[in-house]
Amino acid sequence: MTEILNSPFLYGICGGIILFVAVVCLVFMIRAYRAGIAAGMDKGMLKRTITSSITFTILPSVGILLGVIALSGSLGTPWPWLRLSVIGALHYETQVAQAASEQVGLKTLSMSEMTPEAFSTIALLMSICIMWGMILSFFFNKMYLKKLNGKPDKNPDEPKRKGFGDTAMVAMFVGLVSAYIGSYIGGFVSGEGSFTFKGDLTPIIVSLVSALVMAIFTYFAEKKHMVWLESFSIAGSMLVGMIVAVLM
Amino acid sequence: MNKEFLEKYNKNTHIIGRTVSLITLVLLVGAPFVIGNVIGASPNLVAVVKGFASVGLIWTVSSVVEFLVYTPMLGAGGGYLAFITGNLINMKIPCAMNAKDMAGTKSGTTENEIISTLSIASSSLTTIVILALGVLLLVPLQPILQSPALQPAFSNVVPALFGAMAYQYFRKDIKLAMVPLILMSVFFILVPALISQTSIMIIPSGAITIGLAYLIFKKKGKEE
Repeated sequence: MTEILNSPFLYGICGGIILFVAVVCLVFMIRAYRAGIAAGMDKGMLKRTITSSITFTILPSVGILLGVIALSGSLGTPWPWLRLSVIGALHYETQVAQAASEQVGLKTLSMSEMTPEAFSTIALLMSICIMWGMILSFFFNKMYLKKLNGKPDKNPDEPKRKGFGDTAMVAMFVGLVSAYIGSYIGGFVSGEGSFTFKGDLTPIIVSLVSALVMAIFTYFAEKKHMVWLESFSIAGSMLVGMIVAVLM
Repeated sequence: MNKEFLEKYNKNTHIIGRTVSLITLVLLVGAPFVIGNVIGASPNLVAVVKGFASVGLIWTVSSVVEFLVYTPMLGAGGGYLAFITGNLINMKIPCAMNAKDMAGTKSGTTENEIISTLSIASSSLTTIVILALGVLLLVPLQPILQSPALQPAFSNVVPALFGAMAYQYFRKDIKLAMVPLILMSVFFILVPALISQTSIMIIPSGAITIGLAYLIFKKKGKEE
């Protein structure tokens, strides 16, 4: 399976899609630059926007690359490369891949258990679950912006009063994470027979270590104002947790 | 200002944006079928539907919220590009906001539309180039990455992710988080057979947490 998921064919298909998106970005960039000149905007400012965006992105992109490495052991390199280059985000991709692997009967999201059917199913679910932003843009971007521009009093930059929507999103993710951490605890306590405490302890330790490393990242980012560390926090915490799994 | 040019620019942005969104969508959804056809097994559509029912709904709600919140900030071109290229919260939005602050533009203006599009396009291209270079360097490392000694690491990708996310989300309201965590732990201890179907339990766990969060939210509202 390893050879299949890292085959030139998969590199070709994933690389082709990435190349298409790269061309799209280039087209949008050139059009916007020309429009800026036509709108009488300062050329220097337009160039500064490009250079500042490039420098802003370098560190987070290295963090994303670590995510590709983290997923490459389970899904091969080309597919995570595509997902994280183009549309996805590490936390999303891993969750969806895990959910799909459960539905096709895999115990863990790993290459040793992967089958062709499991991989194509995981790949499709990953694609379907996060396509909604593009679909909404396709149907409603023009209409939504037109409607907003008709209401000049509303400034989207101003922070709005915090409603239940933000709280609900946090609660949703707390519920999601709790279900998985709870399953690791349940697996350890009763995985090999009710209350035998002989199940696999590794996922619990890995989760704890990742959480601890995340806390360290957050401390330095928030208390020591090293905001750039945030770009590496998730991928960095995951990698340390994964290293602990090897050492156990 | 060349008004006619800009009007045409805005109109074409939507045409191009819609076209490339549709093509990207077809490519991304079509790729698993093409790959499945070549490697000898098509996707299991029943499993896809079940998987979508467990985690997909959460991400659908999240996508709607992201669309409603970020589209006004990004404008037309930036919006289309950002939803195609992903990594919104962790990269594209802060990057576009940084560029906007530097340029001093306001949302809803032509200038902001241009700055936002330039910023998202440059950012996306940078990520694509860095990841392509990184993957190129990863190729010689494949034998090491696939060695049996490293397999425990890759088998624990998901616990590693949820550990990091647990810290990120639990700290926002630790008392609230303890309720679903304890409930789910007890549930899986008592019904270990369902551990292999954890994703299904996301729905009741999420519903309980949202319900509790709503009660707390209402209580705080009354106190204020």
